[in-house]
Amino acid sequence: MEREPATRDLMFQDEIRDNVRQAYASIETGGGETVARRLYSEQELAEVPPGAVDWALGVGNPVRYALLQPGETVLDIGSGGGIDTILAAHRVGPNGKAIGLDVVEQMLERARGHATEAAVDSWTEFLEGEMENIPLPDRSVDVVISNGVLNLSARKSRALAEIFRVLGPGGRISLADLTVEGELPPEVANDQSAWAG
Amino acid sequence: MSGALAERVFAEKLERAGFVDVWLGGHRPYGIDDAAKYPLFTPELIEIMQRTISPDRQDHVATGVIVKAHRPA
Repeated sequence: MEREPATRDLMFQDEIRDNVRQAYASIETGGGETVARRLYSEQELAEVPPGAVDWALGVGNPVRYALLQPGETVLDIGSGGGIDTILAAHRVGPNGKAIGLDVVEQMLERARGHATEAAVDSWTEFLEGEMENIPLPDRSVDVVISNGVLNLSARKSRALAEIFRVLGPGGRISLADLTVEGELPPEVANDQSAWAG
Repeated sequence: MSGALAERVFAEKLERAGFVDVWLGGHRPYGIDDAAKYPLFTPELIEIMQRTISPDRQDHVATGVIVKAHRPA
């Protein structure tokens, strides 16, 4: 029996989520210096350990635009190897808090190690969780950042509603992401790795 | 990249979620050569992109943007 369209959509969303998670869990390195040097200044790269630079996979520099202040609480959605979380932690300082969120356990372990190397671990925390179901209370953060992550979600409206929920009144977002105007060729759009990349 | 939104759609989704002062800037073109630097793009996908995306679009397939907005005070 053919399934209802809504059920098929939910299955498609689950398939995308699983494919993305598997893709990120299986890679053995990030974009490395080639990617990092395109996005971050020499000064910024000097603030993070080489391992975090190696695992750079973003598409922009959301911390630069976030105008973080000492004492703020910042959430980095899809924190990966931790480069943006660590940069954010330096800016909010020990009176603030930097929280990284990721679904890939291997990434969380790497990021925790990098935060320790950067000596920001006492006010930095990495949590396992999905952007569509953020494991934080309502109105608990001042700023949300992310880097090349929202495009990976098959439930973007849900993810944005969750970001809104965890932000306090007057809270702000600084998200780096990819946009595409027009249609990608179907051969590209339907390729599983194009959902993760 | 397959899940990337158009800018207008991105902004509309933010506003529908309740955000205000939506701003998109810091544009940075992403072409096939840029995508190839990321391990998440398989060599097979890069080959498909080179074969199916028109030559005049291959150096700007997607755009990196910064999106800023606020939750109302």
